Amino acid sequence: MTIKRVLFLLLALFPIAGFADDAVLAELLARIRQTGQAQFSYEETRILELAAEPWHGQGVMLSAADGSLVKLQLQPTRVIMAITDQRMLYWDPQQNQRHNAALDSAGPAGEQIKVFRTILQGRADELQTSYDISAEKQGKQWTLRMTPKPELTADALPAIEIAGDDKDEQRRILIKQADGESTEYRMQKASEAQQQEYSLQRLLLEASGE
Amino acid sequence: MSFVWRKRWFVLLFPLLLAITFWQIKVETDLNAFFTATDDEDSRLLAGLLKSGELSRRYLLVVEKTEPAPAAGTSAGDTSISVAALSARLVTQLAKLDDVEQVWPADQPPRDWVDAVASYAPYHPRLFSLNPETDAPELFDPSQLAAKADGLKQALLSPQGSFVKAIAKQDPLLLSLNGFKALQSQFQQQAKLGSGGALILQSRPAALDSEAQTRLQAAIHANFDSLNAEAGGVFKLSMAGVPVFSVAAQSEISQDVTLVSVVSSLAVALVFLFLFHSFSALHWVMMVQGASFVLGTLATALVFPQVHSLTLALGASLIGISSDYPIHVMVHCAKHRNTPLSAVRLLWPSLLMGGLTTVIGYGALGFTGFPGFEQIAVFALASIIASLGLTRWVLPALLTNSSLHSAHLPGIAAWVDFCGKHRKILLGLFAVGVVLAGLCLPQIRWMDDMQKLAVDMDLLKQQDAAVRSHFSSIEPGRFVLIQADDWETALQRSEAAERRLQSLKQAGVVSEYHGLFPWLVSAQLQAENAKFYQGVTTPAFQQAWQAGLAKAGLSVEKLGNLLPAAPEPLLPENVMASSVRHILSGQIVTGQTGVMLSLWLGEHDPDKLIAGLAGLEGTRYFSQKDQLDHLASKYRDRSLVMLGIGIGVMALFIWLQQRDMRKVLLTLLPSLASVLFIFATWALMGEEVSFLHVIGLLLSVSLCVDYGIFFIENRGKDADVTYHAIASSTLTTIASFGALGLGKTPTLPILALSVSLGVTLGFLLCPLLIQKPTNK
Repeated sequence: MTIKRVLFLLLALFPIAGFADDAVLAELLARIRQTGQAQFSYEETRILELAAEPWHGQGVMLSAADGSLVKLQLQPTRVIMAITDQRMLYWDPQQNQRHNAALDSAGPAGEQIKVFRTILQGRADELQTSYDISAEKQGKQWTLRMTPKPELTADALPAIEIAGDDKDEQRRILIKQADGESTEYRMQKASEAQQQEYSLQRLLLEASGE
Repeated sequence: MSFVWRKRWFVLLFPLLLAITFWQIKVETDLNAFFTATDDEDSRLLAGLLKSGELSRRYLLVVEKTEPAPAAGTSAGDTSISVAALSARLVTQLAKLDDVEQVWPADQPPRDWVDAVASYAPYHPRLFSLNPETDAPELFDPSQLAAKADGLKQALLSPQGSFVKAIAKQDPLLLSLNGFKALQSQFQQQAKLGSGGALILQSRPAALDSEAQTRLQAAIHANFDSLNAEAGGVFKLSMAGVPVFSVAAQSEISQDVTLVSVVSSLAVALVFLFLFHSFSALHWVMMVQGASFVLGTLATALVFPQVHSLTLALGASLIGISSDYPIHVMVHCAKHRNTPLSAVRLLWPSLLMGGLTTVIGYGALGFTGFPGFEQIAVFALASIIASLGLTRWVLPALLTNSSLHSAHLPGIAAWVDFCGKHRKILLGLFAVGVVLAGLCLPQIRWMDDMQKLAVDMDLLKQQDAAVRSHFSSIEPGRFVLIQADDWETALQRSEAAERRLQSLKQAGVVSEYHGLFPWLVSAQLQAENAKFYQGVTTPAFQQAWQAGLAKAGLSVEKLGNLLPAAPEPLLPENVMASSVRHILSGQIVTGQTGVMLSLWLGEHDPDKLIAGLAGLEGTRYFSQKDQLDHLASKYRDRSLVMLGIGIGVMALFIWLQQRDMRKVLLTLLPSLASVLFIFATWALMGEEVSFLHVIGLLLSVSLCVDYGIFFIENRGKDADVTYHAIASSTLTTIASFGALGLGKTPTLPILALSVSLGVTLGFLLCPLLIQKPTNK
């Protein structure tokens, strides 16, 4: 579930560069809506309650203007996770596990993803009803913190932190669950050569098993 | 009491009676309640399943994209939206409706099912397998523990991570999920079938609560239409399920009831006007019939909790029958220039006997086992008694100032004369006819398919099949039924049946089945599972598991301790007290005694399935259709018996009055002969004869016997007048019963045909078989 939230955040908030007030946030959300096709390489670190040590993975993320999103994990094993067309797809060839579920019926995970969809669609009003948003800038580094509003803690929304620098080359996104689990992404824009390697449509088809 | 006061009381009491009836009556439109007997366990089971079964309350909805796109100008919304996206929006909208218990995409379980599965984790040592002896070696293979630990890690990292985590904390080997693999595969199969547009909606109201279901269907369509308009109108919604049929049937029946009531009343009124040329008399007689109808309805409403709308429709036809009594009085009045009072006094013994035989006919109807006809019997009893009483004591007061002119019916006297003149030849022909008819009887084709009596809904059936093609098929009407005196025995039997079904599935006899394991597990199987679990989870096994966890990078501290089985089994009573009750409510059938469980079946070969289940105690294949067909045959046998008994009782009463066996036989002969000829005609035409045909003939006998009584007794001492009165009665009976023929519910035309044919033939045979009485 954490992965999905992160996927949206990565794309939704990647361009954010040190704005803290509502007016700047609105401007950023307007820019997010215009986000077209994009590709990133990422490194992921997850801290799970039942794991003895942090888990590491890496791969690429691809997004399309229609809101489709694919996370292709390449290490340690190949796993595809995607969100398209109001559905969540998952394909782990090694475990032979495939899931295909409607976002709205995916329980807490689906509920959380709706938050990111809201971000993608730039509906600042809805976002600000769930989160307190604050920004901090120290030199070239900036951090955007999204904290669930205290009255919404029963919904177990994660706290989200996005950090970057002025050059917009690298971003760090940290998602902290209410139960103590966390996921950190370090992302970098893919080069032109890397972008030719993967097709979002082909990966979606592979994930759906078609 | 003076005539003036009788009239005043009648005019005062009639509206009061009407008001009380409206206040008291609860009309039911549930066809099932009308047709399905509840006098044995299987019938009760069938009735219960149809009425409130979980599957019966389910709608299957399919959202599809239409091709081509709608015409220009009609589409203003976002046409890029997909089927899955629109379906997801529709689910959100429909879930808010009060009449919706739950709605979910067909390819994934509802949220509370997932929560319920997680609640079984603490019991994993007791329910990990239906066949622990076979499955345990693989499930507890020490060499596979490292791979299992790795699989657990991947599951924790997957989208199901939070669900798996909740289970793994109590059941690190995820043993409890092993039993639910079949459930998972059901949804995976469904996912392969569709594009996300298949939805399941469970309604709160019962399937046959057509008022609530009509409201719900309108709300479903309204929500869809609004979303579809936003999406540019490129989608269509199809619906299937028992409630769809029940609403359609209810609509057809409502139309039938209105049509039959109106046409029947109009036809009787027109015949009456034609016969007597008096609006005043029509007005009073209609009020008498109206009062009889209201009294019949009130009596039915007092005896039964609800009055079926079909009772009212068939009851409306009684207007024609119970108007016989006033008609006889009025014909004699008009022809002999008598006062209504003297005419009614003169005819009273015949009217009473005629009414009695009609009541006997309807009473016999009540004993055919058909629940709806029990109501009709009570209705008829009350309304015929009311009609007789009102004819005797009130009608003369009402008709005081009415001028009556009885129409001369052409051909009536001629037919009586013709029969008299050619009696020998006609009787010879009749005798030959009787012999030939008797020879035809063995060719009668009995209708064994009760479905043929249901409202014809071919179009709806085609739509139903089209919608169901989007869903993995579980047949709502056929299942394996397990019966036992107690839960433990029932569950042991259910588990034995599931093991057989597993083999039958592998052999291709059944495509899929929905069992009860591991939602409900017998104490015996729980003990067996626990014994295997305790046997294999040795310290060495635990060490191997911990090593696997460590290798996978998982917490040995949190997952390495394999807990022993709980000392107490998971009791079915406790399961049924939890939310699992809702999941299984369609499979736990409440019988009068003991426990009944049903295992749902997908497509299957009934014969091979029955053979495959042979030898299992308390386990049998149940088919709603077979059960209905069995009922059809049972009703037929009973209706034939009741036809015989009805005729016997009528004969007894006529004998008690006449004390002359020849007269008894002569009275009965026209009606019996008409029954014989009608059966023979049906046999020759190849008509499939159902119990309804027989019931129709039973009614016609009870009516025709009246004609025999009137004709033989000839109390007006004028055979022509008596036969005119009988002809008038026949006309009104045909007018009222003929109206039933306009109904689309097959029950009504069958009754219309049987009764109309019976009374017409009986009427024609009267002067032939009964020598014209002399005018004294």
